[in-house]
Amino acid sequence: MKQMKQLLLVVERDLRMFLQYKFLIIMRAIWFTAQVAFFGLIAARMVVPALAEVYFEYYVAGVVVMTLYSASVFIGYDIFEEAEHGVFEYLLSLPVSRKELVLGRSIGGGIRSFIFVGPVIAITLLVIGLSNPVNLLIALLALFLFAFGVSGMSITIAVGLKSGDRFDILMGVLNAFIIRLSTTMYPLAFIQDASQIYASLAFFNPLTFASDLFRWGVGIEKYLTMTPMPLLAVLGLVIFFSLFTLFSVTIYERRLEGGGWQ
Amino acid sequence: MKAILRLIEYDFKNFFRYKWWLVGLISMNLADLFIMAVIYNQMVSPEIIQLITSYFSFFAPGVTVVGLFASAFMIGREINMEVRRQIHHYMLSLPITRIELALGRLLAGGMRGMMYMSPLLLTTFLVVGFPSLPQFFVILGALFLLATGISGLSIAIAASTTSFEKFVTARGLVYYVLFFCSSIFYPLSLIQNLGRDGVLPQPIVVLAELNPLSSGADLIRSFLLGNPPFQLTMVRNLTVFSAIFAVVATFAYLKIIQQK
Repeated sequence: MKQMKQLLLVVERDLRMFLQYKFLIIMRAIWFTAQVAFFGLIAARMVVPALAEVYFEYYVAGVVVMTLYSASVFIGYDIFEEAEHGVFEYLLSLPVSRKELVLGRSIGGGIRSFIFVGPVIAITLLVIGLSNPVNLLIALLALFLFAFGVSGMSITIAVGLKSGDRFDILMGVLNAFIIRLSTTMYPLAFIQDASQIYASLAFFNPLTFASDLFRWGVGIEKYLTMTPMPLLAVLGLVIFFSLFTLFSVTIYERRLEGGGWQ
Repeated sequence: MKAILRLIEYDFKNFFRYKWWLVGLISMNLADLFIMAVIYNQMVSPEIIQLITSYFSFFAPGVTVVGLFASAFMIGREINMEVRRQIHHYMLSLPITRIELALGRLLAGGMRGMMYMSPLLLTTFLVVGFPSLPQFFVILGALFLLATGISGLSIAIAASTTSFEKFVTARGLVYYVLFFCSSIFYPLSLIQNLGRDGVLPQPIVVLAELNPLSSGADLIRSFLLGNPPFQLTMVRNLTVFSAIFAVVATFAYLKIIQQK
């Protein structure tokens, strides 16, 4: 019970910190609007007729997953901010175990990303409509695992590297490739036509699992990558989440102390 | 002239301090070209392909302009930081006139954009084809006008925002509106058709037509792909954009560095 309370305190702290980033929230809102109102709308008129019927809705659902991903990654930048300002040492001095600290931060990262994308999901449902509430609920629960896993991944990389510059480079490169090599923007069938290597990478990408699940949840079933749905996509996300939670707990515990932040 | 060159050197040295940022930007530009554009090549309808030859060839000039825009805009971030940390007092203590200071920063921002954009332009030439020598010089001249205008725009925003957060938010708004409401990702004729069909509001269509990013990308396309055909309005748009923001930025910068 005491452990749970401590975990919740860590989660609460991260949620409060996120609400301070108003400018980031405004920026992502502008980005989402531009992606949907310009790119999504115009690109839907540019694609082949078979895809054109669903492409706008398909793309909007993909943008939701991209937004969730970028919000979840942000916790890594918070960690650097804390290291730079010496807050890390303060956190270590608290009566909270290392495990609670990292788990709390991953959960906090996941929840705050969800709060952040909440209005985006609501707008998306207004645009796309809702066909099956149970499917949507399953999809949202699985997306929480995704957000949790991405936060864990960001923490693992941040604490593993202990260098703000290297973290920035790696995240910049990773973001550039992980989003484009997934089905957030285009169906797997077209990726396969372009390159078999791209398609293989996209198939095992957690963003592909998350996009497929969200589309399945809101009823866009044409061009889904995984079969059977939602089993395979949920399984993929559970593996991703477990792997990075395990990694982040282990690496956080080992690398946390001893300074060395650059 | 020597003073302006010194300032350009100062800003170039600062530019190379952002290695991490440059690596991220290069990765994003290359991923856009070699992943996104290659996949969109398979998705674009035959009617659009008739207009643009292939999406990959169409997008290569677009990504060059995106790179130019992002790197030329960097100067605003530095000037905003200098204003917040009062470094402009040091700049004023230098044996350089104020107008040289303003012009030097403006030109440095534009030239940094040109330098970053060069490998992307070369990649575009390698994958799409090379222009003739006169066309090459027109492209360089047009892109320099664009880079100077962008540098001016970013300095004007940086000088009129008091906090970094406000600058970043304004930058985001400008980035996304100019990027997505232009012919970087899709042909201008498609945007105009959507305007005629009532899908896009008319002001958006006008913005896309006058957008200097549309003019820059379409000017390169006109020489490399032959479509859209070259029009003097492309050069006019770039000249007007560059002139307006060069003047606005110079006055904004002069005003901000003279603040107490």
